[in-house]
Amino acid sequence: MMVDRKRGGPLAGVRVVELSKVWAGPETGKHFAFMGAEVIRIESLGSLDVTRYDSLTGDINKARGFHSVNPQKLSAQIDIKAKEGVALVLDLLREADIIVENLRPGAMARLGLGYEAVKAVNPGIVYISMGMYGNDGPLAYQTGYAPCFNAVGGLSALVGYEGQAPTGINIRYADSTYGSAAAYAGLVALLHKRRTGVGQFVDVSAVEAMTSMVADTVIDYTLNGVVHGCDGNRHPDMAPHGVYPCQDDDWISIAVPSDAAWEALAAAMGLAGDPRFGSLAGRKANEAELDRLIADWTATRDARELVADLQARGVAAGKSQNTIDMISDQLLWERGFYPEVAEPDGSSRPIIGPSWKMTRGAEISDGAPNLGQHTAYVLGDILGLSPDEQQQLAAAGITR
Amino acid sequence: MSALSTYRVLELCESVGGEYCGKLLSDFGADVIKIERPGSGSPTRGLGPFGGGEGAAQERSGLFAYLNTNKSSVALDLASDAGVQALAGLLEHVDIVIDDHADGWLKRAGLDPASFAEKWPGLVLCSVTPYGQNTPDDRRHAEDLTVFHSSGWGYHTPGGGYDALPPLKGPGRFLVSYESGMEAAMCIVAALYEREETGKGQFIDIAMNEVMASRADYVLAQFIAGEMDVSTSRGAFDLGGPAGIFPCQDGYIYVFMATPQHWGAYLQLTGNPDWARDLPPDWLMKGLTPERIANCRRDLCAWLATKGKDEAAAEAQALGMTLVPVNDARDLLASPQYVHRRYFAEVTHPVLGTALYPTVPYRMSETPARIASPAPLLGQHNAERLAVLEGKGA
Repeated sequence: MMVDRKRGGPLAGVRVVELSKVWAGPETGKHFAFMGAEVIRIESLGSLDVTRYDSLTGDINKARGFHSVNPQKLSAQIDIKAKEGVALVLDLLREADIIVENLRPGAMARLGLGYEAVKAVNPGIVYISMGMYGNDGPLAYQTGYAPCFNAVGGLSALVGYEGQAPTGINIRYADSTYGSAAAYAGLVALLHKRRTGVGQFVDVSAVEAMTSMVADTVIDYTLNGVVHGCDGNRHPDMAPHGVYPCQDDDWISIAVPSDAAWEALAAAMGLAGDPRFGSLAGRKANEAELDRLIADWTATRDARELVADLQARGVAAGKSQNTIDMISDQLLWERGFYPEVAEPDGSSRPIIGPSWKMTRGAEISDGAPNLGQHTAYVLGDILGLSPDEQQQLAAAGITR
Repeated sequence: MSALSTYRVLELCESVGGEYCGKLLSDFGADVIKIERPGSGSPTRGLGPFGGGEGAAQERSGLFAYLNTNKSSVALDLASDAGVQALAGLLEHVDIVIDDHADGWLKRAGLDPASFAEKWPGLVLCSVTPYGQNTPDDRRHAEDLTVFHSSGWGYHTPGGGYDALPPLKGPGRFLVSYESGMEAAMCIVAALYEREETGKGQFIDIAMNEVMASRADYVLAQFIAGEMDVSTSRGAFDLGGPAGIFPCQDGYIYVFMATPQHWGAYLQLTGNPDWARDLPPDWLMKGLTPERIANCRRDLCAWLATKGKDEAAAEAQALGMTLVPVNDARDLLASPQYVHRRYFAEVTHPVLGTALYPTVPYRMSETPARIASPAPLLGQHNAERLAVLEGKGA
């Protein structure tokens, strides 16, 4: 059956099958879904995505983390540990454009769903395989979660307070970036397939996705032998460059990339013409003192008023936004970043929408699916199984 | 054949986000023509790290060299009327335009996002800006640091427990820019996919702030839906438990522990310490207490004291514990895994010489990304590319 195109978007008509768990693989599928593709998650109770377990709600259809990264997708409940289940998935993959998987390296092949097996039934398939270290190699057996990717990829060592052990970026960083890199590569492969009919295997490494986020730092080593460590909020090309205290335990970030921007900030602070700070070299040489002067000056001010004042003067400044600020950020609401979607139970809720705006973007209308909510659609409408055949599969425990 | 080799891109960008987007396309074979201001060229030519060598200062930026592989450079002054006129002529011959100037600049360059499609219906035009089109006045001036902090990541980095110290910047200088460039490239390729069928281009508006905020979707969605309580806590994004960075003999490791399997591995590694004897196997999920976490961390540190980071990772991973080294650039170059996947590629640049460059995190069986030529010298391709674009050449 043809893919439903009613939501529009650049990927209208594209069918994606997702055998992915937790955050990174689902993020890849989420991008595709947000662009209008039909994204079908294959799930089963026997090997359920851990994010469907939520100790607070205790309901696999109301799991908070799962809801966050699986909106606008479909769910079919098929047991891929049974060979009949694998056969059904292969049948579905005949009708698909893309598969996304982030199981352990080798797991898909052991199930009979490795690239060669899928290619045999659908030579045009774009097969996106995701692993911490990629699909093969001497360390591919090692596994980890997002903060591990940061550590291995070279990011954690760069974040921390001067002279102390590194702290790393917030623990949540990595999966969504890695999932986005996989989505980009997968779309390049999809475009190639549309133009040539040739599919391919796309092998994505989480740790390399991380390294790509600090590539210029790595180049300093390959060009000059310089190894960077953590240095608080310092920046080699800007001073001041930091986060400073305001009233009510708020913080303001200020970055000064030019002498003109410094003059604007200095005028606001009453430091105009101070010979110590007139050039970047001078500001770098006196940076500790500069940071102290700014922190003293900001400490008694209201963060939002100070941001408005500095912006009016042409200085890059912004409030360091906490979770209250994030959910009440008027600009994000006005730009439609928090669209309202319908849940399977008929209620509605705001979600995190796509980051992009496109002339012909896809409609975003639905939340994350209940487990197996679309099994009948997949078996009946796509695979053409009769009600009797579907019932037999359910009775045998292959589907639900 | 590379996947994007039939597409021609005009890159008007002058900062890292847009240039990285262009690189992601050019490394897949897209014909990316970079328009640079005559004289000084792209401002990224003025940013380090700089390599040695005898050449002009504007040709020694390692940052520029990394961001502009496989591109050609045409010097054209888009601040002049003649330049804007010349640009309009070039647009007939390209599929994609990427820009990362401030909101409003495109219109002045003759490419109004609201109306360009009337003249160039097949053009995909992508703009990368800190806060998107129609930026409000109080967000007009931005750098990666301020976007990192307005997007929710900054306030929660490193996380809870550091209230006396300022929240931090992200890793490196340009993480926000790289993220946004990647998002832009993803949207451009999606638009090209649609264009194969419709023949139509479109406008893509990438707001770096929203790219970063969406990278926190797993937690941010729970705050926006009211499923987790918002607060002024800097630990609001955190997970509990003993996970963290710990010192070892030759540096640091990172360990993540959350499951009974991790706990079983921990017990084997540390030799079943007394304090751990009667703990429930799922205490990492359901029985976290400060005392247990402190004990767990103490014995882990004792075990690590005699181990190198790679050795510790190999032993722990063999038992099923997610323990990894905290790597720096030197470690990455030496990593057998990075070598195996050929993540670093040797590139010879006429001024910077031969060096290893990071490549891309995906291996493609049919259309691999590759670096066929180094970043261009300023205006290197003026004659040949302008001739081609103006329809005078092949």
